[in-house]
Amino acid sequence: MAMNVVVCVKQIPDPAAPSSLDPGTKTLNRSGKLILDDSDSYGVEMALQLAGNVEGSEVTLVSMAPGGEVSGLRTALAMGAARAILVSDDSLAGSDALSTAKVLAAAIRRAEPDLVIAATESTDGYTGTLPVQVAELLGLPSVTFAKSVATDGRNLKVERQTEAGYDEVECPLPAVVTVTAGVVEPRYPSFKGIMAAKSKPVETLTVSDLGLDASQVGWAGARQEITDVSEAEARSAGEVVVDEGDGAERIVAFLEQVKVV
Amino acid sequence: MRFAFTEQQLELRGAVRQVLASECTPADLRALHERPPEPAAGPALGRADPGRTSARWAVLAELGAPGLLAPEAHGGLGLDEVDLTGVLEEAGRVALPEPLGESAGLVVPALAGLLELPGAGADAGADPGKVARWLGAVAHGEAVATVGGVEVGRAGPVLTTAPLDPDAQLPDAVPCRTPRVVASDRADVALLVAPGAGGGLEVHLVEAAAARRLPTPSIDGPRRPGEWEWVPSPETRLASGGAAAVLVGSLVDRGALVAASQLLGLADRMIAMAAAYAVDRKQFGRPIGSFQAVKHLLADARVRLEFARPATYRAAESIARGRPGRAAHAAMAKALASDAADLAARVALQVHGAIGYTWECDLHLFMKHTWALSASWGDAVTQRARVLAEALAGRSG
Repeated sequence: MAMNVVVCVKQIPDPAAPSSLDPGTKTLNRSGKLILDDSDSYGVEMALQLAGNVEGSEVTLVSMAPGGEVSGLRTALAMGAARAILVSDDSLAGSDALSTAKVLAAAIRRAEPDLVIAATESTDGYTGTLPVQVAELLGLPSVTFAKSVATDGRNLKVERQTEAGYDEVECPLPAVVTVTAGVVEPRYPSFKGIMAAKSKPVETLTVSDLGLDASQVGWAGARQEITDVSEAEARSAGEVVVDEGDGAERIVAFLEQVKVV
Repeated sequence: MRFAFTEQQLELRGAVRQVLASECTPADLRALHERPPEPAAGPALGRADPGRTSARWAVLAELGAPGLLAPEAHGGLGLDEVDLTGVLEEAGRVALPEPLGESAGLVVPALAGLLELPGAGADAGADPGKVARWLGAVAHGEAVATVGGVEVGRAGPVLTTAPLDPDAQLPDAVPCRTPRVVASDRADVALLVAPGAGGGLEVHLVEAAAARRLPTPSIDGPRRPGEWEWVPSPETRLASGGAAAVLVGSLVDRGALVAASQLLGLADRMIAMAAAYAVDRKQFGRPIGSFQAVKHLLADARVRLEFARPATYRAAESIARGRPGRAAHAAMAKALASDAADLAARVALQVHGAIGYTWECDLHLFMKHTWALSASWGDAVTQRARVLAEALAGRSG
């Protein structure tokens, strides 16, 4: 059964470039060029593999970004996704995780997905709450921390990473799955893919296109506020142990003290 | 004329840059430098892959790089030399040891050009089916291709292939030796230029399995130069007479462009390494880059590089459009790029100080590749003479 796999992708400031906070709003400065969040490339790869297994399946990207930014989406389209939905609207600035989830859920609903894939968390925000919020808003089952995903188009089999190993989880589709980084090897976009990405459709939507009210999103709708930003405390230097023949004993004593052994 | 790269050209280049940054690291180059030359034999399958050379070629093939210039009908992308030059610049930036320039930039256009000739290969009777098969294989990256038998002299192409027995009667079935074939041990096929009847030239397509290959010691070990002993025959012959002369003329221009493009990337990398070191290294309580004696060196190297870039891009454009000045433009590009990369190497070494001379410092990985490429396909002095010759012949426009 052909599937429409939706992947949530975030376009973030290049982590290799120095980042800055806007002193007024205390939020990340996103005015420069944005790129595909590396942690989302695993979700894209997973989606492409799942879609590749079932003939006629397609991967749709959903993203929310300022300024109509598409460069990160182009990267994922060049990897092989078929199309993208971008929500870009000035009123979205300052959105907290829940507002973002509302916007993405509305956009995902338009794509009529059989499966929604997201990363466990973004590399620039790290809230890690968005995928489950999206699942709740869509009324779909949510399976988090997947290290492998298999589907026959009706049901989903997931190996879900845990501290002790992994759980085997099954659930009916559609569902929302988050994949952990490193579980698949994201493909490089090929030259053909890059050339083809130019002509793939990117639907750009505003908040009102999604039937949402501007008061529900952005600064207006945020239930969180960043009140203060301060420097992380510098790490203390640690203890230097000079080995006077009793090095091993002192290491064991230390490990006992922190209850490792 | 407006000359700027298109968005797509910049994206292709960016994609290669990203891929090679992780697929061709100094650690890989080091592994290839430390690997003793081995006699070439047997399939690469199941063998160890020091420096990830086979894996890297597979990634480049997946990307579509070897087939960039090949017509779409033969599995390529149908792009042109301007697209390729940016890709090869990125190959230079990482000192890519595999023969991407030879495969994508020389063998693919040579084979594709033969198929386009009216009455393909009529001059020699080359089998168009065989040419098309190899073109497809090289364009898909399934076969690694290299080039040999010709170098660039002041007066034009210089033949390096010679019969093992100097008194033998040419042309066919006389064992020949071709020195300095790059990627000698990993190539599946080589385009080799050989002497023909009556002092003419011939171009042959020689399968590696049909040649005896011996490694040649080289300062740039990862480039794997070697000597091929092989027997020219009507079956290997691609072109002779006028067609061969045209093909060799094109090889010489393209060889200059391919080397110049990579030298730009190498120069950029070495200047970046030296600049980073000049910021990091402190003396008299300040970064050494703050001293004029150091910063002027780096600025001079940068200026030389920036003057070589447009000349290289123009050569790419001239070759892509078949302009009459292409030989002069390719020669000028190679002369300027060789000079720029040689200066960048010297400056980078000086800025690094004593540490730059050590095996442990990565700089030598890039300097050695620079020296090899700078001397190949006509060094700066030779190429300057060619620029002059082309100008006097009224073909420099």
